[in-house]
Amino acid sequence: MTSLSLELTIGILKIFSFVVPVLVSVALLVYLERKVLGAVQLRKGPNVVGPFGILQSFADVLKLLTKENLLPSSSNKFLFIFAPMLTLILSLIAWAVIPISSTYVIANINIGILYLFAVSSFGVYGVIIAGWASNSKYPFLGALRSAAQMISYEVSIGFVIITVLICVGSLNLIDIVESQKNMWFAIPLLPMFVIFIISALAETNRLPFDLPEDEATLVAGFFTEYSSISFGLFFLAEYANMILMSSLTVILFLGGWYPPIDIFPLNAIPGIFWFVIKVFLILFVFLWVRATFPRYRYDQLMRLGWKIFLPFTLIWVVITSAFLFYFGLLPN
Amino acid sequence: MFLVGSFFLFAAFLITTCIFVIFSKNPVNSVLFLVLAFLNSTFLFILIGAEFVGIILAIVYIGAVAILFLFVVMMLDIQITTLMFNIKRYIPLALLFAGIILAEIIYLTVFKTSKDNLDTFIISKNNTEQIGDVLYTEYFIDFQLSGIVLLLAMIGAIVLTHVYRPTIKRQNIESQNSTTAEDRVKLVKIKSGEGIKDD
Repeated sequence: MTSLSLELTIGILKIFSFVVPVLVSVALLVYLERKVLGAVQLRKGPNVVGPFGILQSFADVLKLLTKENLLPSSSNKFLFIFAPMLTLILSLIAWAVIPISSTYVIANINIGILYLFAVSSFGVYGVIIAGWASNSKYPFLGALRSAAQMISYEVSIGFVIITVLICVGSLNLIDIVESQKNMWFAIPLLPMFVIFIISALAETNRLPFDLPEDEATLVAGFFTEYSSISFGLFFLAEYANMILMSSLTVILFLGGWYPPIDIFPLNAIPGIFWFVIKVFLILFVFLWVRATFPRYRYDQLMRLGWKIFLPFTLIWVVITSAFLFYFGLLPN
Repeated sequence: MFLVGSFFLFAAFLITTCIFVIFSKNPVNSVLFLVLAFLNSTFLFILIGAEFVGIILAIVYIGAVAILFLFVVMMLDIQITTLMFNIKRYIPLALLFAGIILAEIIYLTVFKTSKDNLDTFIISKNNTEQIGDVLYTEYFIDFQLSGIVLLLAMIGAIVLTHVYRPTIKRQNIESQNSTTAEDRVKLVKIKSGEGIKDD
């Protein structure tokens, strides 16, 4: 084989080695969510398909695949079909820069964190195009809510990321993790950590901020008109986004692939294990929050984003940089 | 070869999408083509090695500005025919701006920049650090001035839209939170056959 085709083959294999585990863990995450919700509400959760019901989500996917894909007659056909694809593509291409361990990453680029921020901010297009192309009231309202909500919370996510970047002095994700070797940023930047998790809930349209798909007022929000596999793609993308935001939280605040304490039996375990465990813990928090909190009202959501998070993160950026500057701790 | 090929590919896409922005029948499609145009210019920036500028363009214009465009355009009920009728009035103005921008590009590429000047930019640091080095030192005043211009635009927009109307009902979060049960509910003991006196 020529070197170019060899390189291409390796690249494609690398991509598959990220995408396939992500899609499988989406299926397991859906199962986990139903089990956790079941446990919180004193039910059993899925327990029929496969051992402990673990194959339930695969059965659900098969069911979705065999259903008829309905196209509303008054919709914009191209955009209607394109929107779920776009959402899923965006939730998968972000994995190109996520470092699972110090060597295991598809593309180690200089501006990794900005790339992730850009891709996660494009996510709103899938929702807004879906809502508009459906040409129906509830999806449209869902799309408007989603656009306003995601833009509002991106602002505070941006400031949280800036705070971390000030402490690191690099936009490279591997550098960000390696600077947390001795102390995870979740400890000195605890308020930012909490704000980031809450904003991630809003950014992925999860409860208690799932107003774009608020079933009590909007039927199913932006994907009301979707059926079969086009609905399935939205579903996949939502959960893949949850995993992505959890990985981002782990990279920014929980020290990526580093063990909690750098002592012998812990640091002998491979980094991928620690990464997955941390992502799992953050995902469990997502599900826990869903089972615990009631949904926010829309004005409460906007108030939290603009009047509490924005000023707080802005002040915290100033405080952090002043602290680092005064004590000469700024990275070069 | 690969670089040149991708440049022409993205440049061709950029020009095509820009043409579609102007000639789309539906304003929502125009905005979506505008997003594609921004995306292609991001690719062009990345091709010349300015990945920081490219990705910032993507974050600011695709991630925020175009979404707000889309947000507004989706809610407007625009009659396409009237828009197309009026379009001829703006051609002279458009030509004027196009001429100014073309002159700027010619000035910057042909007269201003020499090859030696370009070489000084190619140094070992990545371009994020290069921008950081000059932005707050050499171009400090320009940077602050552009910030003030943006602030003025923001204040202007708020002043134009934020009209206080006393008839509109608003949520007062503080009064909502400070409400206690005694303010809203009271326990009344009713004697049989008398009912409640409304007071």
